[in-house]
Amino acid sequence: MATRTIVEAPVVERRKRLDETYIGEWLMTTDHKKIGVMYMLTGFFFFLAGGVEALLIRTQLAVPNGHVLSPEVYNQVFTMHGTTMIFLFVMPTLTGFGNFVVPLMIGARDMAFPRLNAFGYWMVLFAGIFLSSSFLLGQAPNGGWFNYAPLSELTSNCGNAVMCTPGLNEDFWLLGILLLGISSIAGSLNFVVTILKMRAPGMTINRMPLFTWMTLITAFLLLFAIPSLTAASVMELLDRHLGAHFFQFAAGGDPLLWQHLFWSFGHPEVYILILPAFGMISEVLPVFSRKPIFGYTFIAWSGVAIGFLSFTVWAHHMFAVGLPPIAQAFFATSTTLIAIPTAVKIFNWIATIALGKVSLKVPMLFACGFIAMFLIGGLDGAALAVVPFDYQVTDTYFVVSHLHYVLFGGTVFGIFAGFYYWFPKMSGKLMNERLGQIQFWLMLIGINLTFFSMHILGLLGMPRRVYTYPDNLGWNEINLLQTVGAFMLGLAIMVFFWNLITSLRSGLPAGDDPWDAYTLEWDTSSPPVHYNFLTIPTVRSRRPFYDMKNPDIADWKTATH
Amino acid sequence: MTEEQNQGEKGAKKALPPKGVQEQALSHQRSIWPFGLAVALIILLVGLITNPVVLGIGVVLTVAAIVGWGLERRK
Repeated sequence: MATRTIVEAPVVERRKRLDETYIGEWLMTTDHKKIGVMYMLTGFFFFLAGGVEALLIRTQLAVPNGHVLSPEVYNQVFTMHGTTMIFLFVMPTLTGFGNFVVPLMIGARDMAFPRLNAFGYWMVLFAGIFLSSSFLLGQAPNGGWFNYAPLSELTSNCGNAVMCTPGLNEDFWLLGILLLGISSIAGSLNFVVTILKMRAPGMTINRMPLFTWMTLITAFLLLFAIPSLTAASVMELLDRHLGAHFFQFAAGGDPLLWQHLFWSFGHPEVYILILPAFGMISEVLPVFSRKPIFGYTFIAWSGVAIGFLSFTVWAHHMFAVGLPPIAQAFFATSTTLIAIPTAVKIFNWIATIALGKVSLKVPMLFACGFIAMFLIGGLDGAALAVVPFDYQVTDTYFVVSHLHYVLFGGTVFGIFAGFYYWFPKMSGKLMNERLGQIQFWLMLIGINLTFFSMHILGLLGMPRRVYTYPDNLGWNEINLLQTVGAFMLGLAIMVFFWNLITSLRSGLPAGDDPWDAYTLEWDTSSPPVHYNFLTIPTVRSRRPFYDMKNPDIADWKTATH
Repeated sequence: MTEEQNQGEKGAKKALPPKGVQEQALSHQRSIWPFGLAVALIILLVGLITNPVVLGIGVVLTVAAIVGWGLERRK
């Protein structure tokens, strides 16, 4: 009799595919929300790196005749501080907000080109690693974030028969900027198509949330501004390695051509860095004032006006190079003109707060701080448009003060307003209110200690980019004060990261709509499900989520837009 | 009902997913090629300033990534 042995069949476990692993999920993701989070994490990492560089600069300048950094290293550190903060912190972080928020705001399930979106992020990350790795070789870029020719040239045409920048320093900068340019073009194209083609039914262009408006304008600015920088970078690489002479005077080239090409990118770039922050503020203020934004149409179209005018002002960075009077008059006028749409926004924001039921939560604190600090930076800018005054303070700490009030007091305050506002949507958790307030007040005091006194230092004649100074020029106390302020800012940022980590681990649950907000991103779960909306909502006014929550007094029943 | 409201409701019906469509069907399709192309480009650029062999590897990988991206089947 045959016997039959029953053997337990071996359990076959299928190996996980790459996209089923945790790491693979992030490496291969095309979800705009995950990509947005990755952009922001990368941006904040480089914010830390750029912040350390800033503290090194301030430590070196704390006292006269400082020896913390050598002149060579100081040049690398201040160049990488500017490059890191602008290209690797602010731009990626703002793109991250756009990625996370814009599709949700307009009622879309993703960006128009999800793979291109992911590609843009990876390019930023690798370009950042590429640029920063230059420190390991001791050859970090050292010609300033503007990389002026002929100093950045390889050959001996600096004017003193010496080699200008013979190492790889400028090659790292030029190639890194090319990579970042590819990323910016990919991202901008995606935003333009997404916003123009994928809005929810009923969301006309005049019903778009203002952050979406500003992201759209920024994307157009990038599409038109980046090619100038890309062309200049390629020309300089040709100069350095293939014997071209675009920027070498002795061979018939023109070093000023670099400045024209750089600043025709560089000034739109200032608005590329600030317009998304304008959009964030325009979302935060009405929610925490419990009323619709005042002058929606003016805010939106003044953004368009700023976008156009931003291409007509570049040579105000070059008043001191000897432009003809007619050119000086033109650029002084256009620079003054651009203050008008900017002021329109500020009046509208103030009018939004006025008579509102203001709730001073942390996002609102940062939004109010933004208005005050950006106003100082803006007024500085209007002063610098006056040519004789610009002659006096060009390349002094006055200019450093101006740009930091705009980019730190403006953009960074805007970023924190937006981060505290949308963090509950991203994570499902609330950030700690008390720590947020401590961070805000430290930042507000720190920024004014550090940068307001730079106005005075500039008027006293201290040039920017010098690695030290003698002790008999009356600059000592002011420099020390600035260093104290800078470390206060560093402390504020540490408080922020502590708040971020503890809130992620043990923050209070946020719910789907913790601020009783108005726009569509709050009509999703927190964090949103991967497809955002199972049913695409229909929009009938500028505050679609407010309408859903208040059908009896919905905006579309009363407003004409 | 105004024409605008009417259009909005028509749009909403159009936007509804077809019956039976599950959440899964709306999920994002993953892809390794954006990451792959970015890696290839960075190798290419590192090769440009260091070594022609690295540059060659970068060129080959970039072409491969572009082809892979193009041939990937998408829903």
